[in-house]
Amino acid sequence: MNFDDDDFELREIQRLEGHTDRVWSVAWKPDTGINGVPAVLASCSGDKTVRIWEQNSIGSFQCQAVLEETHTRTVRSCAWSPSGKYLATASFDATTAIWENVGVDFECVSSLEGHDNEVKSVSWNASGTLLATSGRDKSVWIWEALPGNEFDCVSVLQGHTQDVKMVQWNPSMDTLFSCSYDNTIKVWVEDSDSEDWHCIQTLGESTSTVWSVAFNASGDKMVSCSDDLTVKIWIDVGRMQGLHKNAPWKHVCTLSGYHDRTIFSVHWSREGIIASGAADDAICLFVENNDNEVDGPTFKLLSKKEKAHEMDVNSVQWNTGDKRLLASASDDGTVKIWELVRLSG
Amino acid sequence: MSSQTVNSTEDIFDSSLNLEDTHYKEGYSEGYTDGLNSGKDEGNQVGLKKGFEVGEELGFYRGCIDVWNAAILVEPTCFSSRVQKSIKQMDELLCKYPFSDPENESTTDIIDSLRLKFRAICATLNIRLEYDGYPKASGIDNSRF
Repeated sequence: MNFDDDDFELREIQRLEGHTDRVWSVAWKPDTGINGVPAVLASCSGDKTVRIWEQNSIGSFQCQAVLEETHTRTVRSCAWSPSGKYLATASFDATTAIWENVGVDFECVSSLEGHDNEVKSVSWNASGTLLATSGRDKSVWIWEALPGNEFDCVSVLQGHTQDVKMVQWNPSMDTLFSCSYDNTIKVWVEDSDSEDWHCIQTLGESTSTVWSVAFNASGDKMVSCSDDLTVKIWIDVGRMQGLHKNAPWKHVCTLSGYHDRTIFSVHWSREGIIASGAADDAICLFVENNDNEVDGPTFKLLSKKEKAHEMDVNSVQWNTGDKRLLASASDDGTVKIWELVRLSG
Repeated sequence: MSSQTVNSTEDIFDSSLNLEDTHYKEGYSEGYTDGLNSGKDEGNQVGLKKGFEVGEELGFYRGCIDVWNAAILVEPTCFSSRVQKSIKQMDELLCKYPFSDPENESTTDIIDSLRLKFRAICATLNIRLEYDGYPKASGIDNSRF
């Protein structure tokens, strides 16, 4: 996709109201919004609930289900399994709930207990066999999904010296990334001999909390965002050189000067657009600059939406379907659906 | 006094200097002895307390492992292979612990590994076994900042 010649803009499609407290995170159900399958979005909130929103035939989103009376505190993060059959929700009540989607109903089929206190993030690996969680107790947990909605704890990983804000699996191999209030990103892999997980690399380029990481579609590039007001791009050096092993990741590019308060969320669209959401209430979009390949990849601002929300933007997430839909969640208690449109003339 | 007027200035200084010095030395030696005694006492107390804590925690794990192993003997399929492997690893770690060598640097590593394995086993078995002395990874100490 060529983004060089035209102007693009995020256009607000709809504002989703229903949560009674700040909205922390949004997650599109995989393979929805494409081939006639209506787009489905989950959002989770400080009001202890998760809401499921579905797009109807005229393109408008409606709340289809409210998942409540399970978590007793803020639901901080939610993630769909790759098949879309399960939704995992991480809560400040120290548990992670697994919900099974049957028709329009959601049933809580399992509750993962292990963290000492607040669970901050949850992520499924690409095959849906492993689940990672992280939290305020500075640890990262890996769980294996077994038949019968059983979850075994595979490993408890310690290494971060502070609150672990987010965990994210690489989309193309079972490598886990975690980012923390200790300003670092850690890379974890399983040792094939001992079947134990350990940290193979610590990325410490940031000067403040790393809030979020995301990958491009092929999984060989990563973007991170931080309290230090930067967005950083990283590449998998080994994969770039055609080696299929876990070679070190390398920082190649820093985008700064676009947000003037903490950047909470980044997400990489399938066609290569990076979205960032921050405490300055704005959403920025970046694309790779094709002009200069000499010094490695560079990125440029494609569009900036000022005042995207009335308060902090906590989460941004691209839909992978036909249209360039972006969902955002905010402290203002709303979720917004945006479409990236080309400006005519 | 009058016969020593030649060196009187120096003498006055000398004696006052010596006086200070003498008292300093006396005080130092008293303080040193007291400090040595109270330091030994305190060290003894800390050592006792620490030793008790470590012993109690390791004993707690030993007890759990022995019961689990006994259960496995009676019913070999009562735990998944992953849990059984973790129990075995905890067993090995405990056997490796240098009980009579408290200054051995591997003690903290072994305790850390034991705690992680124990948490993983409890989470998988979905049981709430809490060792009271276990220091929380966060919580009280974290709330300071």
